[in-house]
Amino acid sequence: MNEYDIVIVGAGPGGSTAAKEAAEKGLKTIFFERGRKPGEKNSSGCGLGPRMWRDFDVMKEIGPEVCPSIREGRAARNYFVNEEGEVTGYIMTTPTASVTYEPAKSWITLNCYRSDFDPWLSQYAVDAGAELKTSTLVTGLIREDGKVVGVIDEKGEKYRGFVIGADGAVSMVAQQAGLRKRWKQEEVTIVPQYDFECSPSKIDDIMGDEALAVWWSAVFPAAYQVFFNGGFHIGLGNWMTWWDKNPMYYLNRVISLKYFKRLVRILDAKPREFQAHLLPWQGKPYNTHTDNVILVGDAGGFPCPLEAEGIYPAMITARAAIETAADALSEGDTSKEFLMLYDKKWKATSVGEEFTAGPELASIWRALPFSPHKTMSWFIPMFMEIIGGIIDWSEPHAVRIRQIARRLKTYLPQAVPFIMKEVIPLLTTVLGEDKMELLTDPEKLLTEMPEIQEALTKAFMDAPEEE
Amino acid sequence: MKIDHKKLITRVPGTGDFIKIDNEKCTSCDRCLIICVMNLWKKRDGTIYIVDDYASQCLECGACYQVCESNAIEFRFPAGGTGIVYEQG
Repeated sequence: MNEYDIVIVGAGPGGSTAAKEAAEKGLKTIFFERGRKPGEKNSSGCGLGPRMWRDFDVMKEIGPEVCPSIREGRAARNYFVNEEGEVTGYIMTTPTASVTYEPAKSWITLNCYRSDFDPWLSQYAVDAGAELKTSTLVTGLIREDGKVVGVIDEKGEKYRGFVIGADGAVSMVAQQAGLRKRWKQEEVTIVPQYDFECSPSKIDDIMGDEALAVWWSAVFPAAYQVFFNGGFHIGLGNWMTWWDKNPMYYLNRVISLKYFKRLVRILDAKPREFQAHLLPWQGKPYNTHTDNVILVGDAGGFPCPLEAEGIYPAMITARAAIETAADALSEGDTSKEFLMLYDKKWKATSVGEEFTAGPELASIWRALPFSPHKTMSWFIPMFMEIIGGIIDWSEPHAVRIRQIARRLKTYLPQAVPFIMKEVIPLLTTVLGEDKMELLTDPEKLLTEMPEIQEALTKAFMDAPEEE
Repeated sequence: MKIDHKKLITRVPGTGDFIKIDNEKCTSCDRCLIICVMNLWKKRDGTIYIVDDYASQCLECGACYQVCESNAIEFRFPAGGTGIVYEQG
């Protein structure tokens, strides 16, 4: 039996952060990677957010010399695809006036491939004194008197210590610790994606300072496009409960869009790699620990409840896990009860704050971008009517405004229930019930809705029909 | 645009077997057939099976294991240092 203070399964961003911070505390630490090097098994390359620069000093040292695929971007593009599969408009956005700090004012994400990022980050853990064991599959947990005391690898080698499960969506640690056999089907998504190769200068010339794009659509669940130095990802996902056809049917609808094909042509991009992974996506992490075991990152269900970015939550929860484990070890109490401290700690972080509105955020994502047929089919034409209807010379503008108002009225039967079911509960959680009471409570708004509708109708929409 | 996504993967051989189905437990709900992006699950005469050369194609995403509510699919990751490699992941 090899003796350690901390035994970490996984060398992704969660595992490496845990290993680094444990080693820095003087704890004897080992972390395991089943690939030949960290990052080899991971996809959905990272859009690193500015909060990482605020919370992790190592981020100030990242750059093209250590991660060649790095590309920072100030802008995001939002495409709107209707039921006919046409791009009916797009909006480009950049950091807005309400953003408070650097580097968030300068760029929205810094993107790099996991095959660059994960090995780079793991080196800091190694430099801090943690032992990294690659090409090693950890196959089980070892128990004494029914309690987990360490792990065992595929060769039968045993490692005793406090166990951190940083082993991703399909977590052996979670399974064997009895924390979770599998996710509920509405807690996890499948995400297939293509990587395309194209020249960095073409990306800069054609995409400008765009870091990423979201393809909001009525024919497939919202797809994402992330630009790296020398390539891009195009992918999509949805909860396991959603798929009526193979996920490839929907991903191939994205790459078959006329607009997308044109983009590929002008970028002179070539498909290079195909990837797929499971991504936990849920509103409320639970069963995050048991005796002598803590789950971090994807293994604990920590990706952002709104759009499921998982790197930052993995690093934050890893830090909370090591702080907890260090306390537990010095107290000589690694029981489940003591480790409730972990929940307390991550809830006090920026990730915890994200999950205070977790169920509402996950719900609105499910109801809008991940419901292409049911919601986006009316949302996209409604949205485009609002932003696209005015620049139109088919009639005098006064006539156009009345036409647009009449058209918008036809969306109300779908839009109003959506606002009541999704938007109001989210605002209530974010703003607090007292403030929402001022605005109105949902019951009250619902009962007054017929009057409001009638007033709107009288004001705008009952104008005589114009030809 | 047509892409043969099956040609865009790299795998290190030597994984051994790492997915199994227990047809006693399988209820033929077909969720594994729908969800597998590599189309490795098939059905013949009402019986679900995984293709013989799955180990040279599987992306190790675990989706089949995840969707199988009847616990019929056994999945573990292949041996360390083998299996799928993402160079631009």
